[in-house]
Amino acid sequence: MSSLVAFVAGGYLVPLALVAIALVSAATGGVARRLASVSLLLTLPIAVSVVLVSALTRAGTEVLVVLGPFDVTREGVDFAGQMLVRLFAISTAIGLFSLTTDPRAFVFDLERRGLSPRFAFVAAATVEAVPAMVTRAGVIAAAQRSRGLDTEGSLRARLRGVLPLVGPVILSSLTEVEERSLALEVRAFGRPGVRHLLWWPPDTAVERVARWLIVAALLVLVAVRLAGAWPPIP
Amino acid sequence: MLELRGVTYRYAGYARPVLHDVDLALRDGEIVGLVGANEAGKSTVCLVASGLAPASIGGQLGGDVVIDGERTTSLPVHELAQRVVIGFQNPSTQRSGVAATVFEEVALGPMNLGLPVAETLARTRRALATLRIEDLADRDPARLSGGQGQLVAIAGLLAMGPRHIVLDEPTAQLDPEGSNLVAAALRDLARTGAALLIVEHKADLLDGICDRVAVVDAGRIVLDGPTTAVLGDERLAGWGVEPPSRVRLARSLAARGLPGLAELGWTA
Amino acid sequence: MDGVIEVERLVHVYPEGTRALDGVDLRVAAGEAVAVVGQNGSGKSTLVRHLNGLLRPTDGVVRIDGRDTAGTKVACLAALVGLAFQDPDKQIFAGRVRAEVAFGPRNLGLRGPAVDEAVTGALRLVGLADVADVNPYDLGQSRRKLLAIASILAMRTPIVVLDEPTTGQDLRGVARVQEIVRSLVADGRTVLAISHDMRFVAETFPRVVVMRAGRVVLDAPPAEVFGAPSWPTLASTYLEPPLAARVGAHLGLGATPTEAALVDAVAARLRS
Repeated sequence: MSSLVAFVAGGYLVPLALVAIALVSAATGGVARRLASVSLLLTLPIAVSVVLVSALTRAGTEVLVVLGPFDVTREGVDFAGQMLVRLFAISTAIGLFSLTTDPRAFVFDLERRGLSPRFAFVAAATVEAVPAMVTRAGVIAAAQRSRGLDTEGSLRARLRGVLPLVGPVILSSLTEVEERSLALEVRAFGRPGVRHLLWWPPDTAVERVARWLIVAALLVLVAVRLAGAWPPIP
Repeated sequence: MLELRGVTYRYAGYARPVLHDVDLALRDGEIVGLVGANEAGKSTVCLVASGLAPASIGGQLGGDVVIDGERTTSLPVHELAQRVVIGFQNPSTQRSGVAATVFEEVALGPMNLGLPVAETLARTRRALATLRIEDLADRDPARLSGGQGQLVAIAGLLAMGPRHIVLDEPTAQLDPEGSNLVAAALRDLARTGAALLIVEHKADLLDGICDRVAVVDAGRIVLDGPTTAVLGDERLAGWGVEPPSRVRLARSLAARGLPGLAELGWTA
Repeated sequence: MDGVIEVERLVHVYPEGTRALDGVDLRVAAGEAVAVVGQNGSGKSTLVRHLNGLLRPTDGVVRIDGRDTAGTKVACLAALVGLAFQDPDKQIFAGRVRAEVAFGPRNLGLRGPAVDEAVTGALRLVGLADVADVNPYDLGQSRRKLLAIASILAMRTPIVVLDEPTTGQDLRGVARVQEIVRSLVADGRTVLAISHDMRFVAETFPRVVVMRAGRVVLDAPPAEVFGAPSWPTLASTYLEPPLAARVGAHLGLGATPTEAALVDAVAARLRS
């Protein structure tokens, strides 16, 4: 939800506030450090390309610096900045959700709301994937550091290390997803039709009210955005 | 009974088949070991025998895979899962990730089959009892040792109620204690009348539990027979398969013209 | 000094409270080959991750060639200690076998022909020279594992640590790993290997360290570790001596940890 808000509300203030809310909630849940690393891991590859592309190529009226054939304009930097804060708002929101949500409760709840178990599982697998990815990234970083990869040195040295870290994370995630989906298939996960569940997730009144408030907030924001009361998204 | 008859299989996107004219039968209550060098096609035999290839992973199947008289290609995957299941080497990727306790994890399969709650509960209890892991029922499935995790994975398969169980290197990632736990559980399983096909590098382990062993080499079954005969075959090393310790020892003694283990007074 | 490992009273407690190492003392001389065995969770992997500084001691000291690892960066220690991880898929990223193996040597500052020479040598040693230009993911799991080992060997560190190098290997793969260890030792390098395969251990390593619950409970040659007096200790960590050792003890032939030793002992007995 917070991801949608970040997109609807442009500028810096709202997305940054969302990042702050996510981090504060994570801190109360004791997962702030893990959230920070997850969100960096999720955002960094996209962020680097967005910043380069928009800062270097976006046309604008006020040129700040000239880098070889590229004019870095104020508009480009501004756009890159806004994109960056939004990306972080989204990744912290997704990260927080996956680090704090019981996947079992999530799946069964989606199923109770009429989603097919298969879809619910895909959603849960996404939720599960994030903490698993953090662990896997830890092992991969250890393996590459053992091969002399410098993750403690200069920024340049660290940037050079992105591919050896991100590559195996993605490749090994893919293998694992494949194995996991085969293992589930064997246990008839893809079977259509009703299941008789052994367990229902609890749902308190406070949680229900909070959910409706969040939806209402989103609707208000969309309305404000449509009414043109906020500065346009560049 | 599960039978592979003249099976040829080619993975999607590859030019050449990995299996050629494979015949293999798996009878009720029988444990069959499948050995062979790395990349000889053992895992592919498992995928084909369980019906996942081609149903889930695509590719092209020639010949027939027949379970109790019915061809697997005519059955939907979830239907097939009640007759034959497959387990893999990594306990953690076989965990659903949506269960808070071992009991729920094992119950997931029967639940997916749409069984009434009472039947799901009964099957789950029976699976845990067969593998003697009732004491793990309330544990978090994510916090088990490798051996325990593998037993829970096998229990999850067992709760589907299949007569045929295929296991691809079930002890590869386990320490000796975990391997022994799994080996003992497989013996218990076969006693329930289930048919088991096991891919394994540990020849000593197979030597202790298998009724029959088949050897795969370059995608073909080159030998299939009683365990003692196959694991004692002179050609085994040539196919890249480690003979069991007792066979190696016997050969080393014979090579020096010394009496065999039994004559020396050794009984296992 | 070249390839000396000194571990003193090493304790490691993980952030969540697990006491993985509980006072480990271990000295390995340059050029020694040592196997580390024990159950999963006994602390083997935690111990070897201290050798190149991936983990830092909670208490105690780890020195490599006399140098305290506490103040040394992993990137520097990597030039002294090559650590090959168990799962090759947690490190392979290059599109070509050759490039994957070149990664380590390049990180250590090698360039040009020196890299090629290191890469070719390592690939030849693990038997992958003929697939140097293949994509690593076109190789099966067992060959990817040998590739991961090659990528450590190419760094030509005085100390090589192999975490379960024989898992998933067939007869030829295990023989290959055995050959790698022997050739490293012949080269004067120090080798440490974690393994669950007792026959491989007994036949390949002149010294075996047994760990249980974060401590070293046995540290001796295979003849002693797999000899009858050690069996209760081994059993307490669920390890079984190789068949040759059991037969030798049963027949009253003394310590025969390997097939060769047993055959010799039987021959000697029959002669006398």
